[in-house]
Amino acid sequence: MPAIRIENWERFLVSILGPSSPFGQHDFIIRRIHSLVGLVPIGAYLIFHLATNAAIIDGVAAYQHRADQIHRLGPTTIFVLEWLFIFLPILFHGMIGMLIVARGERNVANYPYGGNVRYTLQRWTGAIAFVFILWHVFHMHGWIRAEWWISGVASRFGGHRFDPENAYSAAEAIRASWLIIVLYAIGVLASVYHLANGIWTMGITWGVWTSPHAQQWAKIPCLTFGLLLGFLGLGSLYAMVAAEPPQTLVAPDTANIPPAIHASPRS
Amino acid sequence: MSNTRHPHPNGEPRASQSDGRPGRNFNVVVLRQDGPGRPSYWERHIVEYEQDMNCISVLQKIAANARTADGRKVAPVAWDCNCLEEVCGACTMVINGRVRQACTALVDRLLQDNPEQIELRPMRKFPVIRDLMVDRSRMFNTLKKLKAWVPVDSYLDMGPGPRQSQENQQMAYVLSKCMSCGCCLEACPQYLKIELERKEGETEEEFHARERELHDRAFIGAMGIAAVDLFNTNPVGRMTATERLDALVAEGGIQICGNAQNCVKVCPKEIPLTTSIARAGRAATVHMLKRWFDR
Repeated sequence: MPAIRIENWERFLVSILGPSSPFGQHDFIIRRIHSLVGLVPIGAYLIFHLATNAAIIDGVAAYQHRADQIHRLGPTTIFVLEWLFIFLPILFHGMIGMLIVARGERNVANYPYGGNVRYTLQRWTGAIAFVFILWHVFHMHGWIRAEWWISGVASRFGGHRFDPENAYSAAEAIRASWLIIVLYAIGVLASVYHLANGIWTMGITWGVWTSPHAQQWAKIPCLTFGLLLGFLGLGSLYAMVAAEPPQTLVAPDTANIPPAIHASPRS
Repeated sequence: MSNTRHPHPNGEPRASQSDGRPGRNFNVVVLRQDGPGRPSYWERHIVEYEQDMNCISVLQKIAANARTADGRKVAPVAWDCNCLEEVCGACTMVINGRVRQACTALVDRLLQDNPEQIELRPMRKFPVIRDLMVDRSRMFNTLKKLKAWVPVDSYLDMGPGPRQSQENQQMAYVLSKCMSCGCCLEACPQYLKIELERKEGETEEEFHARERELHDRAFIGAMGIAAVDLFNTNPVGRMTATERLDALVAEGGIQICGNAQNCVKVCPKEIPLTTSIARAGRAATVHMLKRWFDR
């Protein structure tokens, strides 16, 4: 590796990782996959996730019903879907993203333009969202649905707090501390900004909107989308905090769910 | 953001009045460096105000006097300049934190923004040769990598080239105004400095070959992307478009762009660089799909 003079700590990373890219000749395709995966499945899942969570706004019973609808797929199907379309894409997008952040510098102080501010925020929110999601999945889901992991590790360190059969447990886990509520608000807003602004930059990267006029115009749907999704996320968070405990642990809407699936042990 | 942080020589004597009005003196601080790889340091100079000065005439006055504000005799500050009308890009430097050409940086305007002083430093993205002179050969290497020319060399008279539409001509004209000054690269948060140290016993040729190899792998920047857009739009240049697109998506290619869009804001020639980036991004998308499915 050639000697490259280090000027500050950000460039220290560059000196270790090499002059241009960690992926060498595959850089282009890896970055394009990184870009695509951010929209589908991750972006699509974020919309689905915030929209289904919003059922809590209609009350705990509706929220339980939504959880039952999802978990009716059964543990094996859910395991395959969540790893294939949620966890692995997020791990890929997040880890590549961290390398991208490490390979840029922040220069808003000297060039305080709107685009530069959005660029900087995109990197900050990406890093925040990645760390938040890692913690959030541990907090609610527990990362791995194996008995030894859940009882031995996840539950002991404050993870695996969401029980699909008692969906209200999510609200309890969130309102356990004001700190958790604040972390969720930051995490949701960071994720939403990162998606909305990411869609806008993706349109330039892939060559959808090319002229300055088109790029200016494209900001309107991206901003509208971000604001709506942000309100939806924060509205759900508020409803989580304000939710009334259910009368019984079994929600009334679960009557029509086949008992065989409902009673099956979750591996 | 400052990469090399040095204290400004605040303890040194300053020009007694620096409000920029005629007949007054003003302060100029310069980030100096005696040679490649040497430490940089700030130096304060007092310059006598004259009407209609630009940063080149400021540097000329500093060179003529060659004394710091505290009266110390120093070697004149070195800088590059050539055309003095913002078409060559040689005098590009960072003035009051913003990259621009020294020849069109007018002292009256600079003192309006900051009556205290004018701050001159070399570009941060290129290796310093001395004081305000930098080595911008990476840009030339980038243009060579991207084959940023129209191949017309032949033993035969190939006749007139294909006709260009008016629309193409107008677009190409704007792009052809690029003078490779490096402003877009200096302001780009994704474009990182590469500075090699010459190894012991290494010849000039070996050193430049090693440097070239590294430049070929590093980010091409907005200037390079716009060059691809320009030559792939040209009816003759388009005949070798695939070669340029291959270089565009190679290591250090367009994918490194982070869409901060500082390039278009600082470009002195007002080249629509972000439009070129998006157009090149579209071409790269199509090129990628072709490479995949037309194997």
